[in-house]
Amino acid sequence: MIRENLSTLYSILFLVSIGALYIKIEIGEFYMLFFTPILESIGPSMPGETFPYFFTLEIFQRALISAIIVTIVAGFLGTFLLFRNLALIGDGLAHVSFGGVAIGVVLGSTSPMGYALVFSIIASLIIYELQSREILTGDASIAIFLTGMLAFGLVALRLDGGGITTDIEGYLFGNLLLIDSQSFNGITLICTLSLIILLIIRPALLATTVDPLTAAVQGVPTKTIGHLFSVITAAVVVSMVQVVGALLVTSLLVTPAATAQLVGRSFRSCFIWTQIFGFTSVLLGLYFSAENDTGSGSMIALVAAIIFCLVFIFTNLSKLKSFQSKYGSLFD
Amino acid sequence: MKKNGDVDECCSPAILEINKISVNRSGKVVLRDIDLKVHKGEFIGLVGPNGSGKSTLLLSLLGVLPLAKGSITIFGKEASPRNFYGRVGWVSQAASNLPRHVKLTVRELVGLGTVNAESIFQLFNNGRKEKILDAIKSVGLEEVIDTDVSKLSGGQRQRAVIARALVTEAEFILLDEPLVGMDSNSRNSLLKLLDDLCHDRGKTILMVSHDLAAIRQTAHRMVFLEENIKFDGPTNQFPDLETLANLRGITPVHEGPIHYHDHNPTGPIEVVE
Repeated sequence: MIRENLSTLYSILFLVSIGALYIKIEIGEFYMLFFTPILESIGPSMPGETFPYFFTLEIFQRALISAIIVTIVAGFLGTFLLFRNLALIGDGLAHVSFGGVAIGVVLGSTSPMGYALVFSIIASLIIYELQSREILTGDASIAIFLTGMLAFGLVALRLDGGGITTDIEGYLFGNLLLIDSQSFNGITLICTLSLIILLIIRPALLATTVDPLTAAVQGVPTKTIGHLFSVITAAVVVSMVQVVGALLVTSLLVTPAATAQLVGRSFRSCFIWTQIFGFTSVLLGLYFSAENDTGSGSMIALVAAIIFCLVFIFTNLSKLKSFQSKYGSLFD
Repeated sequence: MKKNGDVDECCSPAILEINKISVNRSGKVVLRDIDLKVHKGEFIGLVGPNGSGKSTLLLSLLGVLPLAKGSITIFGKEASPRNFYGRVGWVSQAASNLPRHVKLTVRELVGLGTVNAESIFQLFNNGRKEKILDAIKSVGLEEVIDTDVSKLSGGQRQRAVIARALVTEAEFILLDEPLVGMDSNSRNSLLKLLDDLCHDRGKTILMVSHDLAAIRQTAHRMVFLEENIKFDGPTNQFPDLETLANLRGITPVHEGPIHYHDHNPTGPIEVVE
């Protein structure tokens, strides 16, 4: 009983600290201070016409830094999500956060992301409970929340009379240039906190993910770990929505981790590969989107998927060759 | 009904004491009035038909399922993971279905055994690597130490999970159906390993299985469970099939002696049209 209360307490503490720090500490400015000189020094050597702006103009620098830090945390989470068969939770929570944004807009809030955060965290905790109590499987509960909250948001927007405006479109497809200094602070704060907590609980989280009962017998507070993980996932997804958009969140959350599974031989090596693939996807995605003037989120997602295909073909080359030698002459 | 539960009470203190417990699962009584004592160094085979409550008993020992009645003490304390972590090793049935789609090496899997309530916040855990290596060596998996768990055979995977339990330095090891889906070679070597653990390293082992023959070859003491304990005693006193049927209350279907049909498998097959 005490254990369960403790875990709820932890989750609430995490929420409160995010809220409090969101207002007080401008961690984003700290990042800018640290990274701006580095970015500016490598900027001129970057290829392309528009792409170097990501290294020299402040608004683009913010976009670049938030894209990168979000990718790092997403890769961290992605491997665990794959393990838990919760690959689509990112998508689900992103849609929930869209519902939250819509309600925020209808209520006339200037920063609807706060609403998104609250809604996603609640949904994430409920999904966790439904799954761990074996009331519903993970994907079924995700499906319910995904459609339910999306529909709720759309209905609320329509009733309000606004419908889908360009702002709302930004939430659906992501618009890096919408990241102002306030939301930049939010994103960097959430990601930094999540990263620190994840690094600390990583062994316990892995033990819980592989086999919750055995972990509980060993004395791992599995419930607390599960709640923390759910809250972190929700918070990170909400910050990702601002970078790649609600519809494309899964691309950064799962695709690099899935690609890494093709290459890596151990959990640790998969972890490192995930970061490499994520980093490449973001940089190439931003480059191509800047040069071809396409949406950044969609280009990042596309690049991530292409990398997966290439790695898949590359790692299965020997199988392809044997296939060719077997069936290659079939239609000669 | 034969009850020899207290055979070697003289020799060593009881590690596990179960006092008249009853357990309900989804409204149905699964276990009724169970009394059981386990002493240090024993190798106990817990057998019984499917659905007889073997796994339920294990889960209640681990403090995962609430008791309707009675009490369980392990190492003199109430059964709850918080009270015995590190001293009780649990080898779950789920061991045979470890995730296959995510890469995890034997070393990493065994390493998970070192995680507990205390070590979560320890960033540096001295001697952890050596402990993991020792445990892997003791189950004889050093050749596949950096192999992906999903590429191991069923027997090797079970050994890996046992190594995970050993790395906690558990004195009392609970195994839930470790022999499921194993060929005879790996079954034999696994039983040998368990026997060695019991004799050479002084571990107390409680193994659940419905493979009567295998348990009979290994365990010192057998417990037959079907809602309550029908037999508890040394392995060599385990009843034959007919006595067992009586204990379980299975009545003969045929009146009088059974008539066996002539059966000639090598003869010509008759085709009935």
